[in-house]
Amino acid sequence: MSDDAIYIVGVGMTEFGRFDGEDPELAEQAIRASLADCNLTWADVQFAVGGTNGETKPDNMVARMGLTGIPFITVKNGCATGGVSLMTARNGMLAEGHDIACVVGYDNHARGAFAASPARYGIGPWYGASGMMVTTSYFALKIQRYLHEYAMDARTLGYVSEKAFDYASAHPLAWRRKPISVDEAMDADMINDPLTRFMFCSPDAGAVSLVLARGSRAFDLCDKPVRLAAVTLRGRRPGSFEVFSPWLSPGPRTSPSVDAAAAAFATAGIQPSHVQVAQVQDTESGAEVMHLGETGLVAHGAQEAGYRNGDYLIDGSLPINTDGGCIANGEPVGASGLRQVHEVARQLQGRALGKQVPGRPTIGFTHVYGAPGISACTVLTTEGA
Amino acid sequence: MTRLIEDALFASTDPVMLAGSVCARCSAHVFPEQTSCPMCTGVDVSRVALPTTGVVWSWTTQHFAPKAPYRTDEFAPFSIGYVDLGPVIVEGWLLGRTSWTIGEPVRLALTKAWTDDDGQIVYTYGFEAAS
Repeated sequence: MSDDAIYIVGVGMTEFGRFDGEDPELAEQAIRASLADCNLTWADVQFAVGGTNGETKPDNMVARMGLTGIPFITVKNGCATGGVSLMTARNGMLAEGHDIACVVGYDNHARGAFAASPARYGIGPWYGASGMMVTTSYFALKIQRYLHEYAMDARTLGYVSEKAFDYASAHPLAWRRKPISVDEAMDADMINDPLTRFMFCSPDAGAVSLVLARGSRAFDLCDKPVRLAAVTLRGRRPGSFEVFSPWLSPGPRTSPSVDAAAAAFATAGIQPSHVQVAQVQDTESGAEVMHLGETGLVAHGAQEAGYRNGDYLIDGSLPINTDGGCIANGEPVGASGLRQVHEVARQLQGRALGKQVPGRPTIGFTHVYGAPGISACTVLTTEGA
Repeated sequence: MTRLIEDALFASTDPVMLAGSVCARCSAHVFPEQTSCPMCTGVDVSRVALPTTGVVWSWTTQHFAPKAPYRTDEFAPFSIGYVDLGPVIVEGWLLGRTSWTIGEPVRLALTKAWTDDDGQIVYTYGFEAAS
């Protein structure tokens, strides 16, 4: 293998949910679990990256883990923080020649933590005062248009929620593990048409850590290392439809997700149709539907039939968000993208904590997307059996 | 004088017209007015009055009261939409009902946002059914 190949050799994750303690406690638990997973200690780590959307400083994790003098970079890129952290770690390893790196993401959001202020997004106070600075209405407006353009029924959204909670019910680290039916999802309180209460993720707490190794070191540390075949980050171009937008351009629609996914597949030399297990950002049910299309995993408009056929369930052709995704796990922003990678890595290693994709999958994909219009994607692979 | 939620949003109030900006290089329209063009990176932009009629491009109804800084005298569910005005798609309230159809024609209107502490009504813009 090339010395430029980067592998995931250790993974660690806390339970997701509401948590009363200090944020760094969660991060420490995740880091120690990931190091134990590959029989390393903090003293072996040469480079670290940490992401959070909160007020604590990830680089101060060294006060808990050990003052070894290593470079530690902090990332804060909204919902895409996990993917950006992983990319930063990879790039740093290759640029500086580090063999072992640790990537940690954590957050501990209070209920209602996702409220946003117009000033932070460069918009006048009128926008918030008139009730438009609301993330749930953005998601609703976007999926309403998407369902219309591709002639899909809103019931598609109920299938997404049913699937999320079905996966979570079998996952020991998931937050919300009670199964619900499509009808229960559809009949729940309407938040913003067409999205009901059971179709949104909520702010909560959790931490995830990954240990990365470069080149041949990976195979000394791990029986089945997972290759980071690509990790890409893209921003919005004209035609994207982003949160807190008083206006949109009338031209053809684009998305940073489209660009990030295409770049990831091109880098890895893999077609979207080859993916055997995937995670896409499901901030709410509609986001999952749209992101399946934007990443190229499913043709635009074919998602409704896919959900109705069970294609995205564990024994379907393309299992999606097999740990319950954001809908069932909530979204501790700094950790969320790494949770995706944690789940797909375990699936490819054949040691999923919840439902295991059958048939020894070797190609996985992850996608995060967030404000103000950025997306990060990974392609993950293992050697064939 | 009409008290507005933000004077800069409006090219005029009688008749009501929104103000955006147009890029001299690529003709892109944006709302509200800004001093640069996010579409082509140009900086030669000028203030322009936007069309006052269009069609519903997407919609939702807000079934819970948004948190502060949202301001209202008394909350009732209200609709928000994107309206395709031709050169630009503008977000705003959809007035008068809580269920809409993509593609239906609407026109710009002034509407009450809230009552200020001194009893004066503050107005914002919205779109009402045009057919």
